[in-house]
Amino acid sequence: MIVAERKPLDQILEIIAPYKRVLLLGCGGCVTVCLTGGEKQAHELAVQLRLAAQQKALDLTVEVDSITRQCDREFIQNLKADPGSYEAVLSLACGVGVGFMSELYPSVPFLPALNTTFYGANTAPGVWAEYCHGCGDCVLAWTGGICPMARCSKSLINGSCGGTNKGKCEVSKDMDCGWLLIYNRLKSMGRLEELARIRQPRDWRKDRASGVRRLTHQELVKLEEESGA
Amino acid sequence: MRDADLTTKDVARLRATTDLMEREWAPCRYACPVHADVRGYLEAIAEGRWREAIDIIRERLPLASVCGRICHHPCEVNCRRTDVDQPVAIREVKRFVAELQRAGGSTVHKAAVQDKARVAIVGAGPSGLSAAMELAKRGYRPTVFEKFPVAGGIPATAIPKYRLPREVLQIDVDWILAHGVGLRTGVEIGKDKSIDDLRQEGFAAVILATGLSTSRLLPMPGADHPRVLPALRFLTDVAFDRKVDIGQDVLVIGGGNVAVDAARSALRLGAARVRMMFLESLDEMPAYKWEQNEALEEGITFTPRRGPAEVLVTGGRIVGVKARAVTRVFDENKRFDPRYNDADVITMDCDTVILAIGQAADLDFLKGSSLKADGRGRVPYSPASQQTSLPWVFACGEIVTPPGSVVEACASGRRVAQAVDLFLSGREIGLDDTLPPHIDKITACVAEKVLKVPREPVTAEPPQVRKRSFMAIDRNMAAEAAAWEARRCMSCGAGAEVLVDKCAACLTCLRVCPFEIPKVTDVARIDSALCQACGICIAECPANAIIARGWNAGGLPARAEAALAALPGGRKTLAYIGGYRAAPAEWRADADAVPGVAEVYLPSISRLSVTDLLVPFEKGADRVLVVACAAGKDRYPQATSRVRRRVEQARQLLAEIGLESGRLQWLEVADQDRRAVRAAVAAAAEKGVAS
Repeated sequence: MIVAERKPLDQILEIIAPYKRVLLLGCGGCVTVCLTGGEKQAHELAVQLRLAAQQKALDLTVEVDSITRQCDREFIQNLKADPGSYEAVLSLACGVGVGFMSELYPSVPFLPALNTTFYGANTAPGVWAEYCHGCGDCVLAWTGGICPMARCSKSLINGSCGGTNKGKCEVSKDMDCGWLLIYNRLKSMGRLEELARIRQPRDWRKDRASGVRRLTHQELVKLEEESGA
Repeated sequence: MRDADLTTKDVARLRATTDLMEREWAPCRYACPVHADVRGYLEAIAEGRWREAIDIIRERLPLASVCGRICHHPCEVNCRRTDVDQPVAIREVKRFVAELQRAGGSTVHKAAVQDKARVAIVGAGPSGLSAAMELAKRGYRPTVFEKFPVAGGIPATAIPKYRLPREVLQIDVDWILAHGVGLRTGVEIGKDKSIDDLRQEGFAAVILATGLSTSRLLPMPGADHPRVLPALRFLTDVAFDRKVDIGQDVLVIGGGNVAVDAARSALRLGAARVRMMFLESLDEMPAYKWEQNEALEEGITFTPRRGPAEVLVTGGRIVGVKARAVTRVFDENKRFDPRYNDADVITMDCDTVILAIGQAADLDFLKGSSLKADGRGRVPYSPASQQTSLPWVFACGEIVTPPGSVVEACASGRRVAQAVDLFLSGREIGLDDTLPPHIDKITACVAEKVLKVPREPVTAEPPQVRKRSFMAIDRNMAAEAAAWEARRCMSCGAGAEVLVDKCAACLTCLRVCPFEIPKVTDVARIDSALCQACGICIAECPANAIIARGWNAGGLPARAEAALAALPGGRKTLAYIGGYRAAPAEWRADADAVPGVAEVYLPSISRLSVTDLLVPFEKGADRVLVVACAAGKDRYPQATSRVRRRVEQARQLLAEIGLESGRLQWLEVADQDRRAVRAAVAAAAEKGVAS
């Protein structure tokens, strides 16, 4: 899932500074699960903003709404508030939600309340860690399920570099060397021979190199065209 | 059982929490013959809301005071707390609140206009009075005819005063009559006027609620001796303080509740020895266990599995009863069919015999009317419509139902009133008796996590004192004891429910529940049979996808705002107080308030969310105090540690705004007395030192 964290309050106040009437819009998807952008967090942020406005004598009205996902147009029909009636919407969705909603409401500024950080898993109650970069060309089959794109600072695909140092990455002494993790995992699985193969250079067009990536299921596209016709 | 899924839309439709509570009933309510909202009134009593409590009780149970004394309390028998420690003393708590302010303590819901048809009710017992009151509330003009000089039926004419003081019965009678119920005592239908006469006088319908007013007799040699007393006649003589010569050595025949009443009354009239003899074994003895125990404590003895064959009379005086051994009481089909061993006969010495082997209907009220008894000597009756063979004559109570207790009679009376209402409005009499499902038993692994709290004892007179007087044998609970006992209610069915359309299956509820109840399958599922209604998951759910059936989970900010608005100007402090161990006076805000502090009491602080902690600042609070019970002293395990963390979280949010963290304070004194709470609250409101 997509993990995000809330922006510092000062930054949020700066973003919404030009507006007097703001809707806080929670998202019931990934950011609810990682406890940063759900309806409850939207209400908490709303109280914080109102209190801050009182403190600084700002003229600011904030209200709260939340929908199932901000990345599907169908869910906007569940909005209780009309985004068009606000000067701005402060979205607690990930960047996807903010961007998509901006497209659906071109005349309303949709502003991010969160910093979208990574694709991660819930490794322990209250803890999320990055597991995937969304590179578009998955190599996990021969890396023991540990992603070199996400875990190696250089996203190397043919083993560790010279910066590996007693299991840590040269970038930070707190950061594990991704390739040592892969080596140890494959060793424990008895599959070290995977590392004997030299992997061909990656097709970077599948990453971000060739612009906006799309997924198209033709059968659904056709169905939609037929029903529209 | 698994409930149907609940969605945001459903909640909008069922906005009132009472409707949400209707989805599933707690077993106490389900088992109650009138289905009183037991959880609802216990909660009101727990919070010192006396009037609201008695109104909730009387909404379903007009004879609330009577039932507070003598109900057989199926609510308690089915109380889920039994699996944790002991059932809640529901009857005693009800007794406290019902008698607290007499009839004036409860609201009279008089019909705005009482101009519908006149209805005659024959018999002012529990079923007749209930029917009359229900009809009056619906705008009819009921008149109750009673052959005795007082209203009340068996509770007035037979139940001994040591179990039911008459002023207690009068509370209910006064309250019922206040609804516009006419009462004519000393009028015997069948003698003074007939059922048909009532019709002639303009009563559009007649309800027969005459009950079982005579004791069954036993044909055996010697049974016609004047000192062989039918139990009901004996109890009525005692009830009206008529002189009864009870003798010295009394044998009561029968093992039911009436027999126990007769035996204990005989003891109080001065009999030196009172024994009860019955067909059943001790295990099968029909009297309620607590009645048996009280009788034994008073020195009455039981002779089980013996049936009387002859009353032995010598020189005109009873000297004993010949009693055969019983080989069986019931046949293979559990029908009453006793068999005896004639070779095993003993003599039970006695000088007085009281026959308490069952009651029968006295059908004299039929005299002179076109309504006739059926071939088996009963009033012809349709249980579906409660009509007799004459469509305008209805029947309720023990004349047509199996013998039961007061609360069952009330249920029958309420039902007949609905039938009469339909009949007189020209509609078909279709009575819907379907009930919502009830929640199941608690499991052992949840039960062991529930705080154990011993049942409040009832102070009773010692047996050697009480057996010589018709004074009430025990005393009403004090207010503090009643509130504390009411707080033993586990709020069954009032807890969390997931809105499936909002749940993101994030697992937070599963992680925070102190009772380990939520399961996450497709979405989170919280078993209502197990949920303890602490509200911890509701306060933590990031999707706001969990609601409480029994309270408005989002309603605290509004309460806090109102409490702050009620304070005079100047610096204001809001104190959220965990009221589990607070006296009812504190809940009632009768307590000595700290100037400038608004107190909001909660069953437990566990329900406080981070938003609840922040909103008061927005609504004008300079400081917010969370007054918690010390760890382990709250109603819910982990409530103290969890909410303490929420306070820390809220302080961080305040710090982001530049508000000093000392403005939100944490005090662990709610389990101490009012003086300590007041001192801590006053100090915190004054100084605002970070804790």
